[in-house]
Amino acid sequence: MANTVFIKPRHRVQVKPGAVVTLGQAAQIAAPDGGLIRRLKTIPLYRIQPSDKNIVIIDMMQMIRAVLDVDSSLDLQMIGPSQTIIEVVYEKRKFSSASFVLVWLLLFVGSAMAIMNFHEDVSMQQVHRHLYEMMTGQAVDKPLLLQIPYSLGLGIGMILFFNHWFRKRINEEPSPLEVEMFNYQQSIDQYVILHENKESLRPLDDA
Amino acid sequence: MTTLEILLVVFVGFAGGLAVGTGFVAFLVVLGVIPRLTQLTKTMKRVHAYEWGAVAGAIVGGWMSLRHSVWHLSKYWLVPIGLLHGVFIGMLAAALTEVLNVWPILAKRIGVDDKIVILLMAIAFGKVAGSLFHWLYFVDHFR
Repeated sequence: MANTVFIKPRHRVQVKPGAVVTLGQAAQIAAPDGGLIRRLKTIPLYRIQPSDKNIVIIDMMQMIRAVLDVDSSLDLQMIGPSQTIIEVVYEKRKFSSASFVLVWLLLFVGSAMAIMNFHEDVSMQQVHRHLYEMMTGQAVDKPLLLQIPYSLGLGIGMILFFNHWFRKRINEEPSPLEVEMFNYQQSIDQYVILHENKESLRPLDDA
Repeated sequence: MTTLEILLVVFVGFAGGLAVGTGFVAFLVVLGVIPRLTQLTKTMKRVHAYEWGAVAGAIVGGWMSLRHSVWHLSKYWLVPIGLLHGVFIGMLAAALTEVLNVWPILAKRIGVDDKIVILLMAIAFGKVAGSLFHWLYFVDHFR
């Protein structure tokens, strides 16, 4: 029991290009002996190569081998995820304001066109005229009293759906957008865990 | 009209209504607008009342449009109706972009995770501007 070491690989770790990933970076370590923990933390696992691009997966088995190389008398208990995703963070490409404005305009004009096509598609002008006549008994050509509040409501509805106005005041649940981003990241992580991990794939011609 | 014909027409009308009604409910469920509203207002317990609200709205709207009923109300009632109408369509549109997974992919591809709210505003303002343009100008000149 005195030699038991608990190791829990972290889910996702960010490092700089060319860095050496140590066990302490890639995993949490718990052991009765503080000196042992400090020693284990500095065990080098992997040096980031330029050919690795963005993602490196360090498998649990690599960690076990590295620790046993240092001290084979240890009783290793691995818990948690069975690999760590190492994300190599290169110097952030500055996203230029010009292209940001371009994307903004693209979305602005695109959604304006989309809503106009939608109105034409469902003959909303006619529906609004009928509605105006039903409510008031008068026929008008342009029921703007209905249509201007409708247009403002469109924007309010979209912002309400995603939004953060009420979030701080009413509850702390994540917004649908945050949940979507999380799900997308999870799927990507699942993919890279399987596809970037050389240890878990074994092609036929690999002897 | 014989009794048989009447029964046949009633059956066809009922079957058609059933199909459209289930389609409408399925659409609302897929987009998840009602759950989102209960989440915003913290009224999960009232969700059955909201269901009945949507059903009652569909019945009233269907009845009114088919019967061409006229109410002779003040025209200013149309302001709140228009606003609610817009909010509902806006939420449907927002829910649709979410189902299509537009945002996470956009944020990842062009790396603007922190500015995504501004892009969301682009779409919301685009809808408002497009809609106003349509009603104020487009309908007069291009029809």
